[in-house]
Amino acid sequence: MDANRPDSDAARAKAHTRFWRLWFAPIAAVGALATLAVGAFRVRPTPRSTPSQPVVQPPVAPTSTSPAGSGRILTMAEAQTAMPARRLPRQYVQTAQLGGVSSPDKFLKDLSGIAAGADDHVYAIGDGEVRVFDAALVRLRSWRAPEGAACLAVGPDGRVYVGSSGRVDVFDPAGVHVQTLTVGEKDKPAAVTAIKVFRGELLVADANVRLIRRLGADGAARGMVGHLGKTGRFMLPNGSLDLAIDAGGLVYATDTGRHQVTTWTLDGAPIGKFGKFGMRNPEDFVGCCNPVNLALTPDGKVVTGEKMVARVKVFEPDGTLLAVIGPEHFDPACVHIHLDVDSHGRILAADPVRRVVTVFSLAPSRPPGEPA
Amino acid sequence: MRARRRSLWLLLLLAAAFASNVLVAQYQKKPPDFGGAYSFPSPTHPEPRATWVRTMDISMLALGLGAASWIILKRRNRDALLLLNIGAIAYFGFYRKGCICPIGSIQNVTLALVDSRYLVSFGVIAFFFLPLVAALLVGRVFCGGVCPLGAVQDVVLVRPVRVPERLDRALGWLRYVYLAAAVWFAGWGFHLAIGSWSVNVGRRFLICEWDPFISLFRVSGPFHMLAIGAVFVVGGMFVGRPYCRWLCPYGGLLSILSKVSWRNVEITPDKETDCGLCADSCPYGAIHDLRADRGSCLACARCYVSCPRHLEHCGIKAGPEALIQVQRR
Amino acid sequence: MIEKSTRRRFIEGSCRILGLVTLGSTAGLLTQRASAGAVYQVDPNKCKTCDLCRTACVLSLSAVKAVNDFERCGYCMLCPAYMDVNSTPDEKGIPTGKVCPQDALKRRVVGRVDADDPNNNYYEYVVDEARCDGCGKCVKACLPPAGNGSLRLEIRYSRCVECNECAIQIACPDSAIARVSVPGLAPVATHTP
Repeated sequence: MDANRPDSDAARAKAHTRFWRLWFAPIAAVGALATLAVGAFRVRPTPRSTPSQPVVQPPVAPTSTSPAGSGRILTMAEAQTAMPARRLPRQYVQTAQLGGVSSPDKFLKDLSGIAAGADDHVYAIGDGEVRVFDAALVRLRSWRAPEGAACLAVGPDGRVYVGSSGRVDVFDPAGVHVQTLTVGEKDKPAAVTAIKVFRGELLVADANVRLIRRLGADGAARGMVGHLGKTGRFMLPNGSLDLAIDAGGLVYATDTGRHQVTTWTLDGAPIGKFGKFGMRNPEDFVGCCNPVNLALTPDGKVVTGEKMVARVKVFEPDGTLLAVIGPEHFDPACVHIHLDVDSHGRILAADPVRRVVTVFSLAPSRPPGEPA
Repeated sequence: MRARRRSLWLLLLLAAAFASNVLVAQYQKKPPDFGGAYSFPSPTHPEPRATWVRTMDISMLALGLGAASWIILKRRNRDALLLLNIGAIAYFGFYRKGCICPIGSIQNVTLALVDSRYLVSFGVIAFFFLPLVAALLVGRVFCGGVCPLGAVQDVVLVRPVRVPERLDRALGWLRYVYLAAAVWFAGWGFHLAIGSWSVNVGRRFLICEWDPFISLFRVSGPFHMLAIGAVFVVGGMFVGRPYCRWLCPYGGLLSILSKVSWRNVEITPDKETDCGLCADSCPYGAIHDLRADRGSCLACARCYVSCPRHLEHCGIKAGPEALIQVQRR
Repeated sequence: MIEKSTRRRFIEGSCRILGLVTLGSTAGLLTQRASAGAVYQVDPNKCKTCDLCRTACVLSLSAVKAVNDFERCGYCMLCPAYMDVNSTPDEKGIPTGKVCPQDALKRRVVGRVDADDPNNNYYEYVVDEARCDGCGKCVKACLPPAGNGSLRLEIRYSRCVECNECAIQIACPDSAIARVSVPGLAPVATHTP
């Protein structure tokens, strides 16, 4: 006993100790139970009622028959029936296929480019080689392609131009390597995504600088196509620029970020454009960045390839829709559909996911009013 | 001492900053040119937990064990121990939400020993071994001062029921059954086939799934976990530390090691008066024949503060109540 | 000190040393195999964005967040992860619906800005982690071919409490949660863009 402590202090100390010894534990217990009760009422995230799809699918609803304007993307069949006053003027049907599962020429690893050459020969890049087929899709010859080849073009003389990062390799018609042209600067090599040959000059699409480079046959830079105003260039969110050039020297290029097909002169002067974003009308381009691929028919129609809804469309140069080759022909996971058109107007579409080249020909036209 | 500690913290901070810079710098690439000035936002790869946070957990555990040893064995002060328990509930319980915990680390360690592909972190290893080493040296100070699960039960104890010794010992075997089951499920899962009836359970962490107070520390959880928490809180009010004495698998390990510890809670015979106040005050039935049973002693220091001889011997100034009040707690 | 026989003390002492040696050697064995920080992380190449990250995490706001890989992002105006491209478009043709139910994907225009035509602008997309609950809808919408695959789900270590056993890992049907050895070097998505 501490004799120095006065009684009131002892009483206070006693009460203090009594609180701690007597009341603390029940208060703590009540607090713990209260916390548990709060926990019981805390909202926990609940699983959604509709199960999510395990595989990514593009937002296409192909089997319902609701009318246009309901908010879905229309299939080709619906596009034809939804606008009762008008049917699409052209139909394309699949006539041949190259590289399918049972084909002896099947591509095992990849298929990254297609081009149509003289005599309707078909040139394809895949599995690390350039393969040449005749019009009946019989393989003629092949040779090793450079590392990382992304695209190819064929000149009127039969020379083959293969584009890779920072360079274009030139091969003669027999496949012998002739020369390598360096494209782009040393610290910024060109991302060559498309090549076209026109009157001895090369048009090389460079996705790094987001412009089309105009090069002489020796690789000398002759100019750029694609400057819009001071700093505007092609918008390429997925890093891919495709181009085509018609017989008159008019350059067509895909401006994927703006959902447009643009036209230019060889000197780089902008001429026109068509196309806009839309998920409902078949003439619009879907998704974030389309069209991804481009080609021209001999009669001057524009062929575009899209991703997300993997389809190929044919337009008049002013943007009027002529035909839709629907998603049923292509793998939904396609990020590109490489395109070219031969001299008979047959569309060559290379599906890089299924690694198949499908040939579409114009179906014989029917007079309007007759059933399909 | 202070200056040295401060410079140590500064060094740790610098190391953390440097480490995060090194890990960040690898991912800086040139932004695309869309005209105008633009630079990528801060890195999108998850910033590693700062080194000081990782070491803080382990340091807090080590500090807690050290403080508990000091308070229980040297100072023998029940109030300080209560504060330490509250601090442990706050830090290891509510702040760290009960994870990582040494009890659960049995499973991680088992899995790491069984499957060499399983990645175990330094923190888990420290959390498993530090309390065991402490038990070997100074007894179950982990249970007494640091474990948040035990602290919750200790803090809510109001009026303990005296459990008969034989029942207590029998129930104590449950800990080892649970330990065996936890190790079995964590290492191999449960695969049994008897005739046409078969059970196939993959690896499960039973201790984590049936942790009584995890729903309390996270203040959320499925209903059965909240119910288990409530059962143990209410049970803990009237039975001393039921989970610790009869279910905790880690406690089973600790009690084995505590039996051969170097220093432990002791009741010294030469100073005794045979009053038995210590045995009355022990809520866990750990005093047999007026001697502390090292395996069962949960180092709560209640026996010390109820011993008149001890208080006199240590010269600790306690209020007059400590001597008069028989602590039937 | 309690009186103990010398033999008893010897036995206890040797048990103690044996115990210390066993613990020490096991600790050493495990430390050799341990890594600086074994943490849980989502493998974006396995993740099928099934929404379980949102509900399975023991925290009420999941520690899994969507993260945008800016080097891969296209900075598109018509981001399919930001806007629901199938929703009703406004008079300019831009869809009005948003993909994120929590409105956690924020964007701002960057680079040279064309005030007249938003089609000419680039947008930076950042996830507001205070709102994101890890449901993965934006990640799914950004997967190729719709987008570049720059969005992915990731466990944020500032939020993860590092359970002894990750509840999301138990629930994940695609085994996409793995323990990775060095925090910060999360598995990188390898979808071909």
